[in-house]
Amino acid sequence: MNFTSKLVQESVEAFSSLPGIGKKSALRLVLYLMNQPKETTHDFTAALINMRENIKTCSNCHNISDTEICGVCSDPRRDRSVLCVVENIRDVMAIEDTGQYRGMYHVLGGVISPIEGIGPSDLNINSLESRLEKEETKEVIMAVSPTIEGDTTIFYISKKLKDMAVKVSTIARGVSFGGELEYADELTLGRSIVARIPYQIKGE
Amino acid sequence: MKIQGLKLTQFKNYDSGQFVFSERLNCFVGKNGMGKTNLLDAIYYLCMCKSHRGVNDRNVVKHSTEFFRLEGYFLNEKKIEKKSKSKIKIVAKVQPGKNKEIEKDDVAYQKLSEHIGMIPVVIIVPDDTLMATEGSEERRRFLDNTLSQLDGDYLKNLITYNKILKQRNSALKKFAETRSFNAELVDIYDQQLIGPAQVIFEKRKEFINSFRPVFKEFYQDISSGQEKIDCIYSSSLKYGDFANQLKESREKDRILTRTTCGIHKDDLVFRIETHLLRKFGSQGQLKSYVLSMKLAQYDFLKKNHISNPILLMDDIFDKLDEGRVQQLIKLILEKNFGQVFITDTHENRVEEIIKNFATDYKKFYIENGELKE
Repeated sequence: MNFTSKLVQESVEAFSSLPGIGKKSALRLVLYLMNQPKETTHDFTAALINMRENIKTCSNCHNISDTEICGVCSDPRRDRSVLCVVENIRDVMAIEDTGQYRGMYHVLGGVISPIEGIGPSDLNINSLESRLEKEETKEVIMAVSPTIEGDTTIFYISKKLKDMAVKVSTIARGVSFGGELEYADELTLGRSIVARIPYQIKGE
Repeated sequence: MKIQGLKLTQFKNYDSGQFVFSERLNCFVGKNGMGKTNLLDAIYYLCMCKSHRGVNDRNVVKHSTEFFRLEGYFLNEKKIEKKSKSKIKIVAKVQPGKNKEIEKDDVAYQKLSEHIGMIPVVIIVPDDTLMATEGSEERRRFLDNTLSQLDGDYLKNLITYNKILKQRNSALKKFAETRSFNAELVDIYDQQLIGPAQVIFEKRKEFINSFRPVFKEFYQDISSGQEKIDCIYSSSLKYGDFANQLKESREKDRILTRTTCGIHKDDLVFRIETHLLRKFGSQGQLKSYVLSMKLAQYDFLKKNHISNPILLMDDIFDKLDEGRVQQLIKLILEKNFGQVFITDTHENRVEEIIKNFATDYKKFYIENGELKE
């Protein structure tokens, strides 16, 4: 692409260095900003700079945070008896979006996979242990991907927590809600049959 | 299962090609290097989602092109309900470096392992003798190839086992590099390995038990020799608890940075009389031995699979003299084998033999990756 302006070229290159944005989309964004009042661009870049300068990782649960301790950890209304262990911050957001969970979180930062150079010491497992020692947690929910590496991780953590007075559970795995049985893969359907649950009549 | 038609695009030395097959016997004839074997490989690819010698897809794509495509039209004849016939279209779209796509009736599979076993296939090639002369990997490949076509559960366990094994070995390597050791993590990999290993071991053991008598029978038929032959399954899991074995070899594993016991070390011991075939068998005996293995594999799949396998035979004259080939073809036609594909360099040699049997067959003359009418 040929630009008559070096200024435009530089900003297009900046945008297109972001994932998922090509040269053409970048140009569209640049031209849009160019035609807006200067304040729009000022506000935009100020928001980004502010985010980058001030974003922190919660020292307690390793979630992203604006403060030393994140909003979830410092919220007195949240249930401190349950703690949900997840792989990354996006999982926290996904679970928060369900509106079904009011407990605490702990972000591991990945799963154990030596092939990719990730061993147990590269994950936030030690801090999980020390948290459980001082907090009043009764149940740890493992919300980790249902893969072999995920299984290894759950297995490893559960063994570490064996001697603590906490219950360890994993999220249910099975047929997705609104899905049809015939389209579920054999492994999932098989597991769902084996791990079936008692039916409860509504209202009772 | 039978293949009625095949379309190739940029597959090996074929730029494009289209074939309509006989449901009984098909012969590809032509000079060396013209692409007869590549046709067998194309059919094999549609059944097993890969080239038969484990060739990288980069070398399957026609030279200086980017992708290849295979289209196969199969006729599904289940053995039990003779009347139920259905047509299935299988398409393989492969662009090396990207995910390969296999489609059944225009719907792509999520996992390729779901396709394996739907179209049973046996391929017989001159290279099969490697099974007797090379390392144990070739023989495990034979076991896995047969069992994964019959038993989806076997394939799943095998994939799981291999993934965990890779992680365990990577962990051992990492420990050696960082001069540390996390026994707890190795404990977990050990426990994760035990389940799948036990399943695979039991299934392999059971398979060899029912395979051996059939195999011996084929050998007698082909070789007309009187020598006693046998094929014995050897696995460390035969000698006690796998969990203990892992524990005992842990120190060794740590030093060698790989897992030294388990079903990935299993082997088949080929014997002739009381000797090892590899050391004492003649070339002829070797060839008859592996050919009998493959024919017995065919027989086993045929007996245990809901549909008849497709038999692909590359260059059988390499293995046997003309009299034996005649005997073999007779065997194949009499024993009600399903659809068969044969390649030969002599245009009329196979035809001369087939003429003696009243059977439906089709001859294809292949030259430089093209079909000559």
